[in-house]
Amino acid sequence: MLNVSGVSRSFGGVYAVRDVSLSVADGEVCGVIGPNGAGKSTLFNLITGHLAADHGRISFLGQRVDRLAPHRRARMGMSIVFQAARVFRGMTVEENVMVGAHGHTRAGFAAAALRLPRHQADEREIAAEAADALARVGLAEWADRPADLLPIGQQRALQLARALCARPRLLLLDEPASGLRAEERERLATLVEELRAAGLTILLIEHDVGFVTRLADRVVVLDLGRVIADGPPAEIRSDPAVLAAYLGQAS
Amino acid sequence: MTRRLGLAAGLLVAAVTLALPAVLDDSALAVYILLGLAAMVTVGVSLLMGYAGQVSLGQGAFYAIGAYTAALLALNGAPPLLGLVAAPVAAALSALLIGVPLLRLRGHHLAFATLAMQLILLSLAGQLDFTGGDIGLQGIPQFSVGAFEASSASVYAYLTWAGLALVMLITHNVITSRPGRALRALATSEIAAASAGIPVGRYKLVVFALSATFAGLAGGIYCFYTGYVAPGSFPVLISIQYIVMAVVGGLGTIWGAVAGAAAITLLVQGLDRLASLPGMPSYAPSVLSYAVYALVLIVVVLFMPHGLVPAVSRRLSRRRAEVPYR
Repeated sequence: MLNVSGVSRSFGGVYAVRDVSLSVADGEVCGVIGPNGAGKSTLFNLITGHLAADHGRISFLGQRVDRLAPHRRARMGMSIVFQAARVFRGMTVEENVMVGAHGHTRAGFAAAALRLPRHQADEREIAAEAADALARVGLAEWADRPADLLPIGQQRALQLARALCARPRLLLLDEPASGLRAEERERLATLVEELRAAGLTILLIEHDVGFVTRLADRVVVLDLGRVIADGPPAEIRSDPAVLAAYLGQAS
Repeated sequence: MTRRLGLAAGLLVAAVTLALPAVLDDSALAVYILLGLAAMVTVGVSLLMGYAGQVSLGQGAFYAIGAYTAALLALNGAPPLLGLVAAPVAAALSALLIGVPLLRLRGHHLAFATLAMQLILLSLAGQLDFTGGDIGLQGIPQFSVGAFEASSASVYAYLTWAGLALVMLITHNVITSRPGRALRALATSEIAAASAGIPVGRYKLVVFALSATFAGLAGGIYCFYTGYVAPGSFPVLISIQYIVMAVVGGLGTIWGAVAGAAAITLLVQGLDRLASLPGMPSYAPSVLSYAVYALVLIVVVLFMPHGLVPAVSRRLSRRRAEVPYR
């Protein structure tokens, strides 16, 4: 589904990501872990298109995407849950989720201004999908609240609902557990497990090793911008290079 | 409950709007028309700034483009209706063209660039022959459709407020829809909006053009009403005034734009009358009108940071013990 090969990106002559290759298969949950500064966020931004790679290629669904704008990649089916709360202010929870459906609906300014049938049909479809997505993450009764007043755990769930509303082929989660309390983290993990059970392909970038090894089928370990290990969680836990780079010091 | 109250208020406003031109005298009617035109531009400013989060300190430029377009067409023998239709179209096309480089800028940079855009346009209009230089264009014929000619000010009042109603309807329809949600989303985070599949650059360009369309329509009506246009009719202060109106009324509310335009227009009129009383120094009018923008802006930002309309509606909804939201 996703194929990253030989990708590098440097900032001011220092490599943040160096010659990284990884792939995510259909229906797989792939975790990427690494200590702070390992290049996780840079890699994430390269995949989503918010940063351009210096070298290497990224393909998605068999098509090369490394020159495509972020919104084009989103329309192909990459859906993102950001680490920083990127909840749209001044909009209700439901409206926030409805934005997720933007990529697979068509009604534009003219259709909206003139209230054409196209607009009506799209609105019905978007509202139904948003209600579905909100129910899936357990936010249904919050639908009419202002989104920016939600606690952080629910803001993350809201982002997840928005991502689901986009009919994702690949769900990208950037440090989804960071800043969450224990029970919020548990609820999020349960949600991700449900999505995995439903067959969704997920790329999970995360600092919390326990969270990743519990959810991922396969784990890629980054350190200083390079891949130092790639395998099932059990193998990763006992890999000496990983222990030295990460597990030994960080947790 | 809220909906029925809103409907009643809307009907009342509509009735008063329709009745006013019949009872006002010509000088009051002039204020009424200029108020409606200012509201039309301000609805666009509120859409651009309040909903989509983009700043324009040069909205007066599109007002001017609309006015000059309609004036030039009418003076060259085109039917006035064609001029009135061409005014918003020309403003929109200019916004699309200028917006491509300009909208790469954000925040203060975008504000300064739009301000510069208006200054350049004004000095061009003051230099070029076909725009009449500093003297401008005079003798613009009355607005007419077929054999019907708009000979009295009340016709312009109806034209203006019909235009305002149309602009408000379009804005309402846009913001409560898929493209409107996209605009409101990109105001918070362009990155998150792009990741939801929204082509951020294109949407910013379209909303810029849409706000320019409204200003252009207002400019078109203005040129037929006054019968002349000159660079002096569109000072930079006019663009600042639209922003003050939008902020005072409440950014990101449609009715706020109208309320803000009404409040500021009436305030400035009152001060003008005060400043021209016998015994006032000759510099009083300009000092008072400039100072009032600053003062009103500061007072509103301090005491009603969300503007008039949200402040009032919040108070009303609190009285009914509802959750205040928008």
